[in-house]
Amino acid sequence: MHSRASLALAIAIMLLAGWGTISALDWPWKAKLFPLVIGIPLFCLAAAEALWSAFGARGERQAAADFQLSTDQPREVIIRRTALAVTWIIGFFVLIMLVGFPLAVAILVFAYLKVQGKEGWLFSAVFTAVVWGCFYGLFDMLLHLPFPPGWLFTWFA
Amino acid sequence: MLDAFIQGLLLVLQWKAFAFMLLGIGVGFWVGLLPGLGGATTLALMLPFVYNMQPVEAFAFLLGMHSVVATTGDVTSILFGVPGEATTAAIILDGHAMAKKGEAGRALGAALASSLVGALIGAAALALAIPVVRPLVLTFGSPELFMLAIVGLAFIASLSAQGARGMLRGFLAGGLGLFLAMVGQDPQAGIARFTLDSLYLWQGLDLVPVLVGLFAIPEILDLVVRGTSIAGDTPAGHISHGALQGVKDVFRHWWLTIRCALIGTFVGITPGLGGAVAQWMAYGHATQSARTPEERKGFGQGDVRGVLGPGAACNSKEGGALIPTIAFGVPGSTSMAILLGGFFLLGLVPGPDMLTKHLPVTFSLVWTIVLANIITVGLCFLLLNRLAALTAVPGHLLVPVILVLVFIGSYTTNSSYADILVTIIFGGVGYFMVLAGWPRAPLVLGLVLGKIAENYLYISVARYEAAWLARPVVLVLLAIAIGVVCYPAFQAWRARARASAHA
Repeated sequence: MHSRASLALAIAIMLLAGWGTISALDWPWKAKLFPLVIGIPLFCLAAAEALWSAFGARGERQAAADFQLSTDQPREVIIRRTALAVTWIIGFFVLIMLVGFPLAVAILVFAYLKVQGKEGWLFSAVFTAVVWGCFYGLFDMLLHLPFPPGWLFTWFA
Repeated sequence: MLDAFIQGLLLVLQWKAFAFMLLGIGVGFWVGLLPGLGGATTLALMLPFVYNMQPVEAFAFLLGMHSVVATTGDVTSILFGVPGEATTAAIILDGHAMAKKGEAGRALGAALASSLVGALIGAAALALAIPVVRPLVLTFGSPELFMLAIVGLAFIASLSAQGARGMLRGFLAGGLGLFLAMVGQDPQAGIARFTLDSLYLWQGLDLVPVLVGLFAIPEILDLVVRGTSIAGDTPAGHISHGALQGVKDVFRHWWLTIRCALIGTFVGITPGLGGAVAQWMAYGHATQSARTPEERKGFGQGDVRGVLGPGAACNSKEGGALIPTIAFGVPGSTSMAILLGGFFLLGLVPGPDMLTKHLPVTFSLVWTIVLANIITVGLCFLLLNRLAALTAVPGHLLVPVILVLVFIGSYTTNSSYADILVTIIFGGVGYFMVLAGWPRAPLVLGLVLGKIAENYLYISVARYEAAWLARPVVLVLLAIAIGVVCYPAFQAWRARARASAHA
């Protein structure tokens, strides 16, 4: 799995570096100096990694000095839960666009506790009220962050 | 000199200045904990309030606030894997890994103690270095500063993964970071580069949405997959234990802490490199302190040295950054540029006057850094048990709260929904990098250094053509960069030679 992910990343970087280098050729030298200095070696390094991932020996996984994803669940559980988490994240973003930040925060927290956490109605409502109160008090009342109304309110206003 | 030093302390201890410092610490404490709300932004927001203050009171307030932001930013980074500040992202790699192993208390103890040591060293450097730093800073022109950026990148790219393959991936990630830094309007010719015809991208990619996505989203996904609390199945009582162990770790690795603090101070002194660079250089150096490749494998999995290195550097850089700000009026970072504005608001002109006529005020800045950090670290230790216990809270309660913080933290950068989209996209990039075993640290450092490096490279080539490559300091820095790249290979060769000798 990690080898395929590495291959995909390397190919993506190759495409990015190739596009960047070709685009830079039309610019004045002031603007293209750095893109060429970075883009060409980046393309070569990405090509080397892509070749290594595609044709290199399938040895032991090379660990980076970075955090490792959990592997103590069955593969299908990992895929299902990851897809679920991605849905929540993208869903929250869509909700923010549709109904605005303040309402989206309340809906996300309540829905997550009820659906994902299987918490009771009372606990979910109280927890949501506390989180929303902190969010609204700090970011809206105290810091006056501008939160535009959601698209739904603009469309139906 | 000694009189001015003591007078500086007495100035800060006046009730009004001390009260303003406590107020500043209170604001800085919460700003540090909240992801996205940066220390520089808060400094800018608070600047109008200092109009009617005396210089010592104003700096006690502003500097008291600014010097604790990094300390409390470490807390969010360690507990939730969400960088409280752009300058506290490096500590996530090992600090959050320790929290996941049920060692949140130890990680927090190490981070706080190293932060304090770092702050004290930075303040001491500020007090001692003013007379001697001028010639050092003046020997660094654009070619040297460009090479310094390359050394920083070589450090982190070569040390953040194992073997030749790991190094290749490290340099690829660093190169990608440099490439992403080019997005936006080119500073020399004004050409819109890689903006995809989007007005949002004209100003380039902001660091905070990228950082938050790169580090927080993969952690959230993993937390959902595990379905447990951050600390997993570790009994709640064990989590807050170990804070003292963390403090002891700082003294056990005393020399490393000092070295990382000195790296932070040096990066702080160097104009233009900024605070986000110091932590990664210190992390790279901490990784280098591993004696064997096996020992190095522990980094990223919860090695305490990966916590105390960035912790020390992050706080020592403040003292360092004040040196050129006060002595030459050359701010070393965005925050220092805002603070410089504070100097002018209060009628003080940085330069020789600050070292003669206003020397007690200059020393009051040193004392503010020292006192603010001692108070904050003491306060954090009092709250440490409660903070560490958060890692035992069930994941389904934490995920929506962290998600709200991540999105808000990202949104506050420009008050734009596009920032959230950037966070989600880089969350995906971060997840794939972790999945593929690629280090994320070089990407961040590349992104931070990209604009600086491009600017210095352009000036070097325009001013000296190819002759900049032959400057003595450039050659020394080039040798260091090559040495840093070759060192892991040499280390592996030595380990193999030793193993075959024992066999």
